[in-house]
Formats: sequence, C-alpha cells, structure tokens
Amino acid sequence: MDHRLASDSPQFRPRWRKVAYGGMQPGFDDNYTDESFLEGMVMNANVVKRDMLKVMLDSVSISEYLCIVALVVLVWTYTLESTIDENCLLCIDVSLLVSGFLILLYTPEKVSLSILIHHYFLNISFFIIGLYVLAPIYQTLTRSISSDSIWAVTASLLVLHLFLHDYSESTVNAPGALKNPALTSCISVNASVVASVFIASRLPSRLHVFAIMLFSLQVFLFGPLVTYCIKKYSFRLHLCFSISLMVVTLSFVYMLHRLLFVLLLSLLVFVNVVCPYWLIRIQEYKFEINGPWDEAKLCFAITD
Amino acid sequence: MTGLAGKSMDRKKHRIMMVSDFFYPNFGGVENHIYYLSQCLLKLGHKVVVVTHAYGNRSGVRYMTRGLKVYYVPWRPFVMQNSFPTLFPSLPIIRTILIRERITIVHGHQAFSTLCHEALMHSRTMGYRVVFTDHSLYGFSDAGSIHMNKVLQFTLADVSQAICVSHTSKENTVLRSGLPPEKVFVIPNAVDTAMFKPAVVQPSRSEIVIVVISRLVYRKGADLLVEVIPDVCRLHPNVRFIVGGDGPKRVRLEEMREKHSLQDRVEMLGAVPHAQVRSVLISGHIFLNSSLTEAFCIAILEAASCGLLTVSTRVGGVPEVLPDDMIILAEPDPGDMVLAIERAISMLPKVDPQVMHNRMRELYNWHDVAKRTEIVYDRALKCPNQNLLDRLSRYILNIICSI
Repeated sequence: MDHRLASDSPQFRPRWRKVAYGGMQPGFDDNYTDESFLEGMVMNANVVKRDMLKVMLDSVSISEYLCIVALVVLVWTYTLESTIDENCLLCIDVSLLVSGFLILLYTPEKVSLSILIHHYFLNISFFIIGLYVLAPIYQTLTRSISSDSIWAVTASLLVLHLFLHDYSESTVNAPGALKNPALTSCISVNASVVASVFIASRLPSRLHVFAIMLFSLQVFLFGPLVTYCIKKYSFRLHLCFSISLMVVTLSFVYMLHRLLFVLLLSLLVFVNVVCPYWLIRIQEYKFEINGPWDEAKLCFAITD
Repeated sequence: MTGLAGKSMDRKKHRIMMVSDFFYPNFGGVENHIYYLSQCLLKLGHKVVVVTHAYGNRSGVRYMTRGLKVYYVPWRPFVMQNSFPTLFPSLPIIRTILIRERITIVHGHQAFSTLCHEALMHSRTMGYRVVFTDHSLYGFSDAGSIHMNKVLQFTLADVSQAICVSHTSKENTVLRSGLPPEKVFVIPNAVDTAMFKPAVVQPSRSEIVIVVISRLVYRKGADLLVEVIPDVCRLHPNVRFIVGGDGPKRVRLEEMREKHSLQDRVEMLGAVPHAQVRSVLISGHIFLNSSLTEAFCIAILEAASCGLLTVSTRVGGVPEVLPDDMIILAEPDPGDMVLAIERAISMLPKVDPQVMHNRMRELYNWHDVAKRTEIVYDRALKCPNQNLLDRLSRYILNIICSI
C-alpha cells in the first residue's frame, strides 16, 4: 500500500538514475527507458562533404596509371610483333631512365645530387647488371608452357596489379621515407614483375629479354614514384602530364585496334566521371554511429 | 499476508538452460556471471543446466556445487574458445538436452559465442522462450563488428527478452540488434563480497601501492600504463606499482621499467590466478584500470570490495559501476590519468577499506541479480509465441535491411 502511494505522488518518487549499482531502483523496472536513452549517440561525426570537381581531379591519378600500364602493354605487343627492335627498346630504356632521374632531381627539394648518386646510381647499376646476367634464364624459363597460358596468366596478373595498386602513394619510396608499404601494394608490384618475366620469356633473343625486362621494371617500380613526385611538386603539372599521357595512349591504342580504343576510352570515362558521380550520390546514404561504447583512441603514438 | 506467501510459494519454478561457449575451466567475466547466476537461481528453487563446449578432455556431463549440471558438448573450439559455426549439425544434441531436462527457458550468453547463437535459433524453432545476455560492447565501424552485428540482428530477431550488463551496453545492443528498448533489461554483474574482504591488518600508508590487474593487451590500455607509470613515479617518490597480468604488451611495460630504472618500484607479477587476485589486491591502496573499452568491468567491483580506491578511464559502462565517491574517473589520456591518481592519493587518508567493503555489500549482490533475472524469465514466458511465418518474415526483413 505504501509503495503504491509513493509511486503515485511524484514528489516522493526518487528520480531514476542511469547507474548500475544499488540493485533495482524502487518504482522502476529494469527495462525502464527514459529520454536520456541514446543521448550520447553521435551520427555522421566524421563524414567529409565531398565536392564533385575535387573527386574528379583526384581520380585523374588512377586513369594516369591505367594509361601507363596500357602503354607498357602496347610496347610489349609491338615488341612481340617485332615492330620495335631491341636497339630501339634500349634507346627507350635509357631515355626513360634519364628523364626519370631528371624529374626526381628537379621536383622535390630534399633529393640532392649526392643522395641521388649514392642511393640510386649504385643500386641501379647493380640492378642492370643483375638483369643482364639473368636474361638467358628468363628467356628459357617458360619454354615448356604454351603461349596461350602465358597470355592468360599475364592478363590476369595485370588485372591483379591494377586492382591492388596503391594509387595514392608510391610503393617504392624515396630515401628517408618512414612509412612501410602495405601488403597489398607489395603483392601488386610482385604481380607486375611476374607478368613482365612471362612476357619476356616469349621473346627471340637475349638482348630483347634484357631490354623488355628493364623497360617494364623501370615503369612498374619507378613510374609510380616519378608520378607521385610530380603530383607533390605541382598539381597543375600533374594534370597536364596525365592528360597528355591519356591523349598519347588513346591515339596509340586507336592505331592498334578500334575495339580496344573504345574499351579504354569507356574505362577512362567510367573512372573519371561515372565513379565520382556515383560516390557523391551514395554519400547521402552514409550512416555512421559513434557513442560512449566506442573504443577510446589513444592520443599518442605507440612506438614499438 | 498469507496471500503474499502463497503467491511466492506457487510462483512458477523455471527449468533453465544456460548456454555459452564460455564456462569454467575458462576464466573471465562471462564465466563468472553464468556460474554465480546459476548458483543463486538454484537457491531460489529453479532447475539450471549449463551447456558449453568441451574443454580439453573435459567432455560429457559434470556436476558442480549445489548440483549444477554442466553439459560439455564434445565439440572442439576452433578460435578464441568458440565452437565452429555449423548452423544445423548442433540441432540434435541441443534438442536432446532440451527434452531430457524438460527445459522451459533457454538463456544464451555473450554475442560472440557461436554455440549460444545456434542454440537460441534451434530453441526458438522448437517453440521455447529464449533470453539473451550481452556482455560486451561493439563499435559500428570495422568489418568484424559489422559482421557480428548482422549475426546478432539475425539471432535476436525473435528473442523473447534480452539482458545487458550496463545502460551503455543496453544502448549499444539496441542499436546493434534493432530490438525495442523495452525488451532489453539492465541487470549488472555482481561480486562475491565474501570472497573479496579487505585485509585484517591494513597495509601501512607510509608507502602507497597502486595495483593493476588486467590482461596486458591494447584494449585494456596497457599502452596508457606505459605512459602513466613513469610520470606518477617521478611525481611521488613514495608510490609503488604492482602489475598483475600477462599479454603481448608485457614487453613494453618491462622496457619502460628498464628505461626509467624503476625495477624496485614496479613489480610485475605475470598472470595472476583468480583465486589469488584478492591477496594481490589487499596489498595495495589504489586500483588502477586503464581499459579503452569496457561494458561493465568486474575487476573494479572486486577491488572496491577489497576496500581499494579505484582510478579508471571514463569508457563504456564504467561510470555507472560505482558511486562518484568510490571511483575517480579520467579521460583515456596519460596527463588526465596522472591528475586522477594524484587526486586519489590525496583522498586516501579519508578512505576506510572496511566501510567501503560494507557499502559494496549493499550495492552488489548476486542474489539480487538472480531475483531480477527471475522477473525477466517470468516476462519471457508471458511473451506470445510467434508462428513460423511471423518469424520468417522478420528474418527476411533483416536480410533486406542488410542489403
């Protein structure tokens, strides 16, 4: 009877508190829910508003790399058809190497000439000698495998490479970089190297193998670093470089095959226009919940 | 008067099946909860059986104190003491146990126990009322939690009633599972205060001992300890630390000890068996909990019951666990935690461990937990039984929502 009275008159009724101690709170069931329920919940706290133009400009680096890979495949095709001979390939190698070094030297301020010579020059010369010595092995490596399998495996490896490639940074870092590359980007680099070995093993002479290996490795390993340096140096330059690269690639592909041209063009349009639009559209469905149940973040770096 | 007595006499006795992957000989909050809850329910006159998977060569039926029957179902755990998710092969054995023990209520524990989810699903299919207790918090951001939340939505789609251990945990569960809040009860854990009594002879206060007992892992904030301990030792020359627990972060703590030459002021005990936790606790004055996420934290209760003043991070359900004058909360940030420890040291002369222990005896009690759980069982039995079509439509709704 007493209890009834107490719960009927509000001034005697103790207020419900959001606490777990002290047993069941008198007058309230354990499933009592008041207006303070979920008041600590925050929705969409970290959502970034995206701008269509910005997303489109950012996606240019993806299509730039797509074009680079397409150009490599073009060179492979022309070499396999013997349109380009080995001397011409070696010329391309040397000019790529020199222009790459020049770009590295002039774009970021921190890479000085001495570092360049110490770090890169020695390594690259070891690399080239090693490649030259190993060329005969590459040439006969897949002799017992039929060419069809080689094309199929190479194509799938390239798709894997493109899928896992780190488009925001470069896997091969400039000297002194702190961050280690992620596992996926390492897999991506490896896939591209294996694909180049497979293609090289179909070529007629040792010099061919050496030249094509050098070319593909230069592009796959150092291409991302060079484009990354350009992008960091000046975004405008990066845009001009990418657009001219796209035009060049498209025209070469047009000369090779009409259907491939249409495919590449639609891929570029998809990456640069459709995907950004899509991303902006699905942003409105973004639903992010934060609250007191989240794991606390440490405000200092853990140095292991 | 007689009416009341008569009512409590014919109050329906339940036959309860507790099911979870986590039970003794494994040790932790869930295991403790199931054991003490079962013991107190048995005392109230209900029948309780526990179903868990086999631990080592412990498989088959075992009996524990007060005739608590435990089925160690002969399935091997595959990762983190979880049995392999198989969906249907578990049906025959669950059904046999349900029928043999003439179960009326099935009570599952812990969201990441696969055995619990499967048993709940099968019991619902067989028309039993099911109750589910959630013991932990989950975020909404990483892939693991998203997957867990989907599984939870699926099993909880037609659970009769759910129980959470704190209000924060209730909010979390309601959001994750989409249950209506009035179906979710908050019944906290408790502590066996008889097991955690303060020392008869109080340790002297000339030297202040801060005790840490937790697994030394990232989630328990071992990295915070690495930052906090040297600062406190520098500011207070009469403070000593005792760190109990083992884990991957132990190396970092030992490195910290070497680096700041604190070997004589930071004692590392390694893993402490639960039976010895009290003897470690009573040698200290302050208990430090540095968890980054916590649904309830039984360790705080054990420390408070031993008469220690608690300093803890303000995460999850921790602020609800103790009254403000028994705990000092700090943000999970080394600077704030050092300040909180200083406040605790200045409060220490006013703290009487025996008074604190007596207060804890009033605040937390497993019998109270069992009585409140009994009310949930009564409610669950009153829930209307849905037909299969209803259930299926709810599952389908879940699937559509998840797409």
